[in-house]
Amino acid sequence: MSADTAGPETLGSLSSEPEQQDPNSQQAKEISGKSPMRIALGRLAKDKIAVVCAVVVLFFIICAVFAGPISSAFGVSLETPLASERVDGLNQGLPLPEMGPPNGPFTMEHPMGVAPRTGEDNLAYWLYGCRVSLTIATTATIFASLVGVIVGLLSGFLGGAVDKVLSFFIDMFLTIPFLLAALTIAPIINDRFNLSENYSTIQKTALIVVLSIFGWMGTARLIRGEVLALREREFVQAARVMGMPTARILFKELLPNLAAPIIISISLMLPTFVALEAGLAFLGIGVTDGVSWGQMILKGTNLTFFREYPQYLWQPLLGIVALVLSLNLLGDAVRDALDPKTRR
Amino acid sequence: MFAYVVKRLISGVLVVTLVSMAIFLLFWFGPSSPAQPICDRETQNRCTAAKLDIYEKTLGYKNPVYEEYGKYVKGIFVDRTLTIASNDYECSAPCMGVSFRTKQPVKEELVSRIPATFSIAIGGAFLYLLFGVPIGVAAARRRGSVADKALVSSFLFISSVPYYLFALLTWLYLTITFEVPFFSDTGYFPITQDGPFKWFSGLFLAWVALGIFGCTQYTRFTRGAMVEALSEDYIRTAKAKGLPTRTIVYKHGLRAALVPVVTIFGIDFGTLLAGTIFTERIFEIQGIGWWSLEAVQGRDLPVVQATALFSAVVLIISNLLVDVVYSVLDPRVRLS
Repeated sequence: MSADTAGPETLGSLSSEPEQQDPNSQQAKEISGKSPMRIALGRLAKDKIAVVCAVVVLFFIICAVFAGPISSAFGVSLETPLASERVDGLNQGLPLPEMGPPNGPFTMEHPMGVAPRTGEDNLAYWLYGCRVSLTIATTATIFASLVGVIVGLLSGFLGGAVDKVLSFFIDMFLTIPFLLAALTIAPIINDRFNLSENYSTIQKTALIVVLSIFGWMGTARLIRGEVLALREREFVQAARVMGMPTARILFKELLPNLAAPIIISISLMLPTFVALEAGLAFLGIGVTDGVSWGQMILKGTNLTFFREYPQYLWQPLLGIVALVLSLNLLGDAVRDALDPKTRR
Repeated sequence: MFAYVVKRLISGVLVVTLVSMAIFLLFWFGPSSPAQPICDRETQNRCTAAKLDIYEKTLGYKNPVYEEYGKYVKGIFVDRTLTIASNDYECSAPCMGVSFRTKQPVKEELVSRIPATFSIAIGGAFLYLLFGVPIGVAAARRRGSVADKALVSSFLFISSVPYYLFALLTWLYLTITFEVPFFSDTGYFPITQDGPFKWFSGLFLAWVALGIFGCTQYTRFTRGAMVEALSEDYIRTAKAKGLPTRTIVYKHGLRAALVPVVTIFGIDFGTLLAGTIFTERIFEIQGIGWWSLEAVQGRDLPVVQATALFSAVVLIISNLLVDVVYSVLDPRVRLS
C-alpha cells in the first residue's frame, strides 16, 4: 500500500505537505467521495445478520445452479428405475428399510431418503425443486420490476392524463387478489394444455406470467412517488432546457437515481414469489406437473406419511423457510442500509 | 365529502365492470371450448364433437361474446333461465350461472358458504387487534429496552416465514401429533346447528394461527405510530398537567396512533372476507376459498368465475369504506 501511494502523488505534494504517508492515505480514503451504493454496501457488510443471510441465499443459489453436478456427485438422480424396488407397496408405499428413513438408517445411496409411493430420491428432488423455485421467482421478479419501473417512470414523469390512466390501472390491479387470479387461470391452463407434451414448461411460464402481471404495482407506486419528487429537480430541468428527448431524460437522468427504490422493491418481491410458488403448488394449482417443493409438502401432509415419515415433510419445508426467511431478513437489512435516515 | 363518495363509487363501479369483463372474456376465450368441462362431465369423458356442439349451442357459446356478456349482466338484475343441453335451470336474480357439478344456482351455494368465511374473517381480524395493538403500545412505552428489541426482532422473524407453512405446522402438530383436546376437530360447524361451543372449537386454531401471524404487522404499525404520538407536544402538555399515565397513554396517545391502524385493519378485513384460501384449505373449513379450490379441481368454470367476481367486489367495497371512515376519524385528512 505505502509503496503505491508513495509514487507520483507524494512527489507532487512534496512541497506543501511534508511526510504524511500513512495517515494521508487513510485520510484520503475517508475524504474520497463514496457513492451512496458504496456506503450502503459498507453498512451491509457490517450487519452480521445480513452477512449470514447472504451466505444462506448464496448456498441456495449454488444448489439451484449446480443441481445437476451436485446430485451426480452424490450419485443420485431424478429418474426412478422402478418404484417397487424402493418403496413397500404393502406398507402404504413407505420406503423400504434399505432405502433409509423412516424404517431404516440413512444410507449413502440416498442421503436424504426416498419419497414414499413414487420412490424418487429426495436429495435430487430437493435440489431440482430449489432450482425451479429460484428460477420462477427471479424471472418473475425481473419482469414485474421491468413493468413496474416503466409504468412508474411514465406515470410520474408525464403526469396528466397518462398518470390518471396508469394510476387507475395500478389501483385496479391492486384490488384483485393475486391468489384468486392464479386460481382463476389454473383451470384454463389445465384445460388447454393438459395433454400437451411440455405441460410443465407451460405451467411454469403461466405462473411467471401471472406473478409478473400481479406483482408490478408496488414497484410502480414506489417509482412513481420518487419520480414525482425528482422531476422538479434542477438536473432534470437542465436536461429539458437542453432539449434532451424524453426517453433519454427518463433512462439517463432519472433511472440512475432510482437504484435504491428498485433494489428495495426487488428485495420485497423475491421472497414473496418464492413463497407463492411453493404455496400454489401446495394448493394444487401451481406447478403440478414437474418438480416443486410445494408438491413435496402437499404429499408430506398426507396423514399416513406425516405420522410415519415426518422427515419427508420437513425437507422441503425447511428449504422454503430458510430461503424465504433469509431473503426477507436480507431485504430488511438492505432497506435499512439504503435508508440514509437510519444510523447504527 | 358527498362528492368524494360519489366519485369513488363511480370509479368502483368502473373497476367492477372491467374486472367482470376481464373474467368473462378469460373464461370465454381461455379454454379450448368453454363447454368442454361440462360436456366431459355429463358424458363420462365421452364427449364427441356433436355433443360438444349441443352444449356450446345451448350455453350460448355460438353467439357473439358481447351478446352473451350482455345477458350475463342482465341476469344480475333480472331472473333468467339457463339451458344446458335439454334441461332448463331457473336462476333468480342476481344470477351468476349454474354450477357444472351440482346444477344448483351458483349464487345460492355462494351465500351458503359465506358464514364460514365470515366466521374466520371476524375471529382472525379480532385477534389481529387483540394481540397487535396492546403489544405495540407496550413496546412503544418501553422503547429501546431489551424487551422491546427482542419483541421487534422476534416478530420480524415470525412475519418472515410464509403464512401457509406456519398454519400448516400449527394444524399438523396440534391436531394430528398432540391431538389437543377440544380443538382438534377443526372445521366449520354452523352456530345454529351445532351450538356456539362446537363452532368456536372448530375455528379456534384457524383464528389463532391467523391472529399470531397477522398481529405482527399491527404491532409494528401501532408501535411506530405510538412512538410518534408520544413525542408530540400535547402529550408533554398532558404530562405537565399531571394527568395519570394511563390517561395520557390510552386517551391522548393511542387515539391519535390508531388512525393508521384502522386503515390497514379495514383493508385486511376485506382481504380476509374476499377469501382465506390457505386457512380454509389447511384447517378444512368449507368456506368460499375451499369451494373455489374444489371448483378449480372439478373445472367448474361458473363457480370459479363467481368467486373471482365476489372477491373483487368485496375488496373494492372495503377499500371504499376504509377511505370514507378514514376521513371521518382523522379530521386532518381532506378528501377531494
